[in-house]
Amino acid sequence: MPILTMHFKDMDLGEYRIEKGGTLTIGRRETNTIVIDNLAVSGQHAKIDALDDGYLLTDLQSKNGTFVNDRMVTTHWLQPGDVITIGKHKLVFHLAEGEAAPPVRDQVEKTMVLDTNEYRAMVGKTSPTVATSGGEKKEPVAVLSFLKGGDGEVALSKKLVKIGKDDANDIVISGFLVGKTAATISKRPTGYFLSYVEGLTKPKVNGKPVKETVQLKEFDKIEIGSALLEFILKD
Amino acid sequence: MIEIEAAGLTDIGRVRENNEDAYFIDEVNRFYLVADGMGGHQAGEIASGLVVATIQELLRTPPDDSEPYDHLLSPAANTLAALVRAANTAVYEKSREHEKYRGMGSTLAAVLYTDTTAIVANVGDSPVYLVRGQNIEPLSVTHTVAAELGRTHSAQLKNLSEKVQHMLTRAIGIEPEVVPDICELQCFHGDIFVLCSDGLSNKVSPPEIADIVTAAPPGVACRELVNLANQRGGEDNITVIILKITEPTFLRTWVHRVSALFKKAAGLFQANKNRNP
Repeated sequence: MPILTMHFKDMDLGEYRIEKGGTLTIGRRETNTIVIDNLAVSGQHAKIDALDDGYLLTDLQSKNGTFVNDRMVTTHWLQPGDVITIGKHKLVFHLAEGEAAPPVRDQVEKTMVLDTNEYRAMVGKTSPTVATSGGEKKEPVAVLSFLKGGDGEVALSKKLVKIGKDDANDIVISGFLVGKTAATISKRPTGYFLSYVEGLTKPKVNGKPVKETVQLKEFDKIEIGSALLEFILKD
Repeated sequence: MIEIEAAGLTDIGRVRENNEDAYFIDEVNRFYLVADGMGGHQAGEIASGLVVATIQELLRTPPDDSEPYDHLLSPAANTLAALVRAANTAVYEKSREHEKYRGMGSTLAAVLYTDTTAIVANVGDSPVYLVRGQNIEPLSVTHTVAAELGRTHSAQLKNLSEKVQHMLTRAIGIEPEVVPDICELQCFHGDIFVLCSDGLSNKVSPPEIADIVTAAPPGVACRELVNLANQRGGEDNITVIILKITEPTFLRTWVHRVSALFKKAAGLFQANKNRNP
């Protein structure tokens, strides 16, 4: 049974056994086998599966990535001496005495572009939603629903939605101290963000004035001038 | 209005025999680009070089054709998308010209700034990060098999070799058309944008990048990041651009305001002249 030794800077933080046929998980949340309480580590960051033919490390779409021997990996078959870096913590993979080393597999070489058809065939025809060149992934649509100062709802389909007094805005809002463009909502890979732009009064999210930018969560209440809007995600 | 303090650096690394990365900084148009080329027999260099040359030329003499206009994007974002499409056409056509260029391509990571916003476009696996305070977040979407599958079908990942996982699902110059991922956001003083090739992002984690770019001015930080990637093996070419958003000086703010006023006055004068010929 191989072991992982954990290190942070110069400190040794213990040993973890990888059980045969088992799965060891690493992350910030308490439910993991190895809990690393650090903001650079995702709730569920990575896992190691002990399979018949080796030990497979998989990054669980973590925010800051999983590195092996100073190289970012998505999945990696562990070899003795491999150093896994998660946030600023290091985990070293060792075999037990007398244990046979797992087979060495091919390493990545130069970057190549996958043929779209090849990719579709590989992923299987059953999954047409997988993004091919230019393809769209299914994701929730965000809308702002008027609670006050207007009617109905506005879909946030633009990458940058402008809100303010001026008619050129995507959402026009009245109010004496509202800026020409008071705020924008930007759709970024990690979510939707509301930013203050101009005007004597700042937009408020859940009653708190926004000085620069805040990430929106579902059901947040946005107050700009005379309008009160609710941020909703729809499937 | 914002000011931008920019620095860029490219390095061959410690293993490769040529540098297939390219970068481009245009402070007048506030346009910044990293391209990571691929293809055998120096074709990678040709591809990334052509991405830079095509866009450089277009920024100097903007085309006035009516490109397909995307109403979900701002006018400036449409300009950026048009630049990406032009780069794709140039590389795609060149690759069909000669056998030795067949299959060549490039990634693209670009940022274009307006007076108050940043527009980010990317194709491939060269990331763009935003560092704001202690936080670092990706503004780009990674177009690799691993990243695309991970978003939808993560269980299938383990059946694929690392080589396949790292393959790009989108690149400049491979197909006649390409769609970049675009995002637009409001800029604030103190924001730092980092564009790089995977020679850096595969070696240095986002929190480490954030630590380095917040501690040193852009020029120094570029050198430190490249050095770190080289210390860790430098198997690939390494390229990075760091953009620090700063407040304009008092004088520049006024020069900007006065020149805007003049432009407006000239416009009114022109409109008046057209009305009364």
